Amino acid sequence: MNLSTRRMFLRRGLALLAAAPTVPSFLDQTLMAMTLAMPSRTAPTTGKDGRILVVVQLAGGNDGLNMVAPWADDAYHRSRPRIAVGAKEALRIDDHVGLHPNLSALKGLYDDGRMAIVQGVGYPNPNRSHFRSGDIWESAQPENERPTSGWIGRYFDNNCPGADPMVGLTIGDTLPLAMRGERVTPLNFDRPESFRYRGPDAGMFRRLNGIDEGGAIATGGGATNGATGGSAGGAANDAAGGDGKVNGATNGRGAGGTSARVNADGAAGGSTALAAGGNLDFLHRTAMDAQVGSDRILGAVGAFRPSGNYPRGSFGDGLKTVAALIAAGMPTRVYYVTLGGFDTHADERGRHDGLMKQLDDGLGAFWTDLRAQKNDDRVMLMTFSEFGRRVEQNASGGTDHGAAAPMLILGGTQKGLVGKHPSLTDLDHGDLKFGIDFRTVYGKATGEWLG
Amino acid sequence: MNIHPMLEPFGRRPGEIFDRAAAFHLLSRAAFGGTPEEVAVFADLGAEKAVERLLAFPDQSAEEQAADDTPDLSGIDDLPRTFGEQRRALAGMTPDDRKAFQQKIQKANRELLMATGDWWLGRMDGGKFPLQEKLALFWHGHFTTSAKDERMALLIWRQNELLRKFAAGDFKQFVKRIGRDPAMLDYLNNNDNRKAHPNENYARELMELFTLGIGNYTETDVKESARAFTGWAHEGDEFTFRKFQHDFGRKTILGRTGDFDGDDVVEMIVRQRACAEFICRKLYAFFVTEEPDGILVRNLATMLRENDFNLRPVIGALLCSRAFFRPEVVGGRIKSPVELVVGTARLLGMRPPGVKRIMAALNQMGQTPFMPPNVKGWPVGRDWINSATLLARYNTGVTLAGLVDVDRIIPDAPADAMVDGLLERMIGRAIDPAKRAMLVSAMAGDSSKPARRRLAQWIAAMPDYQLG
Repeated sequence: MNLSTRRMFLRRGLALLAAAPTVPSFLDQTLMAMTLAMPSRTAPTTGKDGRILVVVQLAGGNDGLNMVAPWADDAYHRSRPRIAVGAKEALRIDDHVGLHPNLSALKGLYDDGRMAIVQGVGYPNPNRSHFRSGDIWESAQPENERPTSGWIGRYFDNNCPGADPMVGLTIGDTLPLAMRGERVTPLNFDRPESFRYRGPDAGMFRRLNGIDEGGAIATGGGATNGATGGSAGGAANDAAGGDGKVNGATNGRGAGGTSARVNADGAAGGSTALAAGGNLDFLHRTAMDAQVGSDRILGAVGAFRPSGNYPRGSFGDGLKTVAALIAAGMPTRVYYVTLGGFDTHADERGRHDGLMKQLDDGLGAFWTDLRAQKNDDRVMLMTFSEFGRRVEQNASGGTDHGAAAPMLILGGTQKGLVGKHPSLTDLDHGDLKFGIDFRTVYGKATGEWLG
Repeated sequence: MNIHPMLEPFGRRPGEIFDRAAAFHLLSRAAFGGTPEEVAVFADLGAEKAVERLLAFPDQSAEEQAADDTPDLSGIDDLPRTFGEQRRALAGMTPDDRKAFQQKIQKANRELLMATGDWWLGRMDGGKFPLQEKLALFWHGHFTTSAKDERMALLIWRQNELLRKFAAGDFKQFVKRIGRDPAMLDYLNNNDNRKAHPNENYARELMELFTLGIGNYTETDVKESARAFTGWAHEGDEFTFRKFQHDFGRKTILGRTGDFDGDDVVEMIVRQRACAEFICRKLYAFFVTEEPDGILVRNLATMLRENDFNLRPVIGALLCSRAFFRPEVVGGRIKSPVELVVGTARLLGMRPPGVKRIMAALNQMGQTPFMPPNVKGWPVGRDWINSATLLARYNTGVTLAGLVDVDRIIPDAPADAMVDGLLERMIGRAIDPAKRAMLVSAMAGDSSKPARRRLAQWIAAMPDYQLG
């Protein structure tokens, strides 16, 4: 399917608009806003053959040194007498580093030439705050103190303008900065089964939210003409309480007069969100995007039968959903999944080992699915975290916030070990020095892979 | 000072009528919504008297107002309240007993946190001073502290009481007290801020997020201020000054040099022009619009400085200003999830649901009391909304509205009267006539109880209901 449902809706909706001059004004405004926002260039489609990027965020600061352990380095064992991955445990990559013992599926993928390990990734003057360093990684604008868009969002802005909001899908309740564009706002949802309207009479809900072309425009058109054309003022007064006075004062008299005064008095008025209907239009648009996305996502997920054996929990569920959506040929170019809990200030081997197992089980199952779907050649997956951790263990058998760390890349064009493992003796305030700037890795992901 | 014309009280000029829609607007923003009866009472007062009544709360915590007004603390009665007590209690235990005891403490804290949340939502909904609670919610987002990093729910309750006490009080005093607040000392690691190894976390956030805003101080100011706060710590729920960990040396902060302590830092901060503006901008964004108007913010900041950082007159002026009642402001702001939940309960004449019951929904919508997502606190406006949170908001609204006592709130009547009555109750301003017509035609011929319930649910799932 080349056209997104939203675009189809737009075309049909606009055709209907042209045919029906008395379309409800709230729909009219929403559609016009969307149309104006849509440039002429068409968005690249993914469907069954375009390339896809999957980003896995390891939130909290992943201990890269125990994920890709320099098992042969004495300094490693000296710094971490209680928590180092032992020389015998490590799944050896070469005679210096090895993977965490719980990463057996990933070791298999590495041996098959399907995985790259990019070592010592970071940026200059590393920040050790979760928020700030997270913002730096997600915005890829270290100099910007209050970034409003992310590296993937800006890719959408520049390469998929006016695109279907399904161009990017985040599994989770919050839309990460990385996915936010200045113009494109992609979708996010936590669990597909809760990503839907659950109230009574979905048809009415859709019409009230301007989602359904069938109701409001086609059938509702006739019914609402009277109200819109004939007695808008009266109806509005009724709606607000029926005594006429309610609306009159705020919307009519006081309002108009006050408004004019604002500008005359010299206060800067006329901001966009303040413009009449600004937030209402924004809500209509978001509701439409969400509902259209919800229908398609639920359809795709419901029909999916996974081949991989996913770990329990939100991370495994999220990857399973992504596998389902890729199988269904969604127009999505970038998926974003998070595994949290990496802030291991204490009990590192207990907690981090468990997380490594979840990561391995999840990515292993995901890749099994992609292979079964024959989609593994068009998917590249990368992990990242806001920072690595201090080389030296702390007093609680854990590690504190650090700096450079490795990224894992599945699929794509790279394989093997990339870059040099950072020195464990030449440190910056106890932290590893970076050898590869993360923006180089992003550049390859967007420039070379997604194109 | 010259007051900007837009900050003059609404209702003094011809054509400015403080009617029911205006009273509804005021009660949505400065309280948690008004029932039709409350709206009618406030509309009769006029803007200035209405705001005066909302602001007529004492500068006291709930417990100071009434000694028995606390969350249910019984669950932690026999548990240790300081780390010292906890250490002693654990001392003689076997590892298994120790683990069991620690789990008991954690469970009791989780329960108390929920109980504190319920208690707070109850005050927002049915308390005598809803604006005090609204401001406490604002300050909770401002002086962010998350219970995720908190071992003791008790400290969170105490902090919540501090936010209530200073809600419209002396901002300077407020900031000084926040610096001594045990939950804050824990959250921003000032407990670990020692002369030998200063921890900059609190000093940085104090300047960046609490008082000045980024760009109005230097890295040196942060480092030197951190030294001034060394030794500020807490033992259980009490502030303590550890003088052997305090750096009594000379510091240079914001252009002045001296042997400053934390209180001196606060005094120097409020003397910066940026401070009053920073606070007024945030208040304006919270109460009026997410895109504050620079001239009005600067005018309010002058007012705050001239009142020696006493917040009450500034909040009062803002809430009855002509700017606050501008037509594009009325109904133009996206409600926060807590406003949505408490407001729906209030408007439909119900008690708010227990926090435990709606925890999942609050999480999905992005605002769980005592658990702001990060030190930046709660967002305002559009940042509340993404595709996931919007559907979660609709579903939450629909679920709550489904609990309405139908016969009491939506009595049987002709379709247009029912629709208009409920729109007035829930939205309180004009909506697109086409939408109203949809509702009327859907109700035509069916005024059964389920149909009336459905009407409340549809309205709760309209984009218009997200605004207020």
